[in-house]
Amino acid sequence: MKVRFYGKGLPGISDTQYPGKLITMEGPDGVGRSTQIALVREYLEASGYAVSSTGLKRSELASAGIQEAKQGHTMDPLTMSLFYAADFADRLEREIIPALRAGFVVLTDRYVYSLIARAEVRGLDPAWIRSIYGFALVPDAILYLRCDLEHLVPRVLNARGFDYWESGMDFMGYRDFYQSYLAYQQRMLDTFDALGKEFGFRDIDARLSIEEVFAQLRVAVEDSVGDLRPTVS
Amino acid sequence: MAKLCTGEELPGKLFVVEGIDGSGKSTQLDLLRKWLVATGYCVAFSEWNSSSLVSTTTKRGKKRQLLTPTTFCLMHAVDFSHRMQQQVIPALKAGAIVLADRYIYTAFARDAARGVDPEWVRKIYAFAPIPTVALYFRVPLEESLRRIITGRPSLKYYEAGMDLGLSDDTLESYRIFQARIQREYEQLVTEYGLVVVDATLPIVNQQDIVRSIIRPHLEGALRAESNAWRNVLSAEHLSGHYLEGLVGGREAQ
Repeated sequence: MKVRFYGKGLPGISDTQYPGKLITMEGPDGVGRSTQIALVREYLEASGYAVSSTGLKRSELASAGIQEAKQGHTMDPLTMSLFYAADFADRLEREIIPALRAGFVVLTDRYVYSLIARAEVRGLDPAWIRSIYGFALVPDAILYLRCDLEHLVPRVLNARGFDYWESGMDFMGYRDFYQSYLAYQQRMLDTFDALGKEFGFRDIDARLSIEEVFAQLRVAVEDSVGDLRPTVS
Repeated sequence: MAKLCTGEELPGKLFVVEGIDGSGKSTQLDLLRKWLVATGYCVAFSEWNSSSLVSTTTKRGKKRQLLTPTTFCLMHAVDFSHRMQQQVIPALKAGAIVLADRYIYTAFARDAARGVDPEWVRKIYAFAPIPTVALYFRVPLEESLRRIITGRPSLKYYEAGMDLGLSDDTLESYRIFQARIQREYEQLVTEYGLVVVDATLPIVNQQDIVRSIIRPHLEGALRAESNAWRNVLSAEHLSGHYLEGLVGGREAQ
């Protein structure tokens, strides 16, 4: 992949090209991203690609600290955004870039767009949050699992119910989880729509069945990784 | 007045001290706090890298040497943001005096010394309230090193800037790192109008200077009856020995 950053990039990184590919998967909470990533990963490995996958809050540095802070509900949106930025930076520098250098296909469960959306919905300055992520690599593909509330609600209820943060209970001002969830997720969906235009998301219709979603993803992923495979003449 | 980044003026006053390690700024801030409290002001205090929210993460990062210039910078920003939202901004809104031991200029100086893009760091901290007065304690590098090396057992990995690979020798690495930070600070003095205090003067003289700089800004600051119990003790002829340990640690120091 061509090494491009959204802003000034990272200190000490002057590479122009990595042999690997960076594919990011975005979409609302509960849409089925992790399931699809598990399927795509296996599919790619079966086809002979080395795959590395990562997701928010999985950094060695900041994962435990964020979990702890979320338990206490003591974080304001600004502090939370910066904590997630530290988590993301740690994974980018110590997992994603080394894997790309080694020629891996890196699949990420969410990327900066979710973090930008959460910050914007919580009232932080859109220009400010974008400038923070000036160190983020521009991915080869941003696959967006597009869905609507009508299809999301049953999936969330079947899976784990409404989560405090995924319902925006930290700031929306509703007492009732369900009302808060609906209002928060609708705002997130609207924000993702705008980000999709700004950053060039490739939409995957995620209202469909798991098989149909996977079929679309396979095509999209093949488009990205295709040139990694030398053509046999 | 302290100001929010939005330009909104807050009734409180924010005084910050800056300088390289061993410049004596913490000593001066402590003396300033004691004077302000004794004069009857309501004083809040906030120290760099002290938020409980990030302490486990920062400790982990340091112990396992996970921190890069970028993540180190961001972790300090998390700490700073948490302290601003929870301690500093509320106190300033209430009209109190807030004393900060190190502020955004520490990040600007240290992160730039670590090779982080200075403009990016300034953008991160765009949310920081603008201080009423920011003091910079200027000290020659050799003098500060002498103070640090005699006063402390050993330099820690990140403290000495060992992550930058400047030298295999801890002391030499620290010297080079501090020199870089000092250069950055000197630029910040003009960029942000930091008020320079000669940190080679005797402690008492420095404190006189500090108080004379701060005094004109105190008008209207919130006052607190922090020592009201003293009046009770003297009126009732009590010794107050059960109060020991109850009175806030800061005041008791």
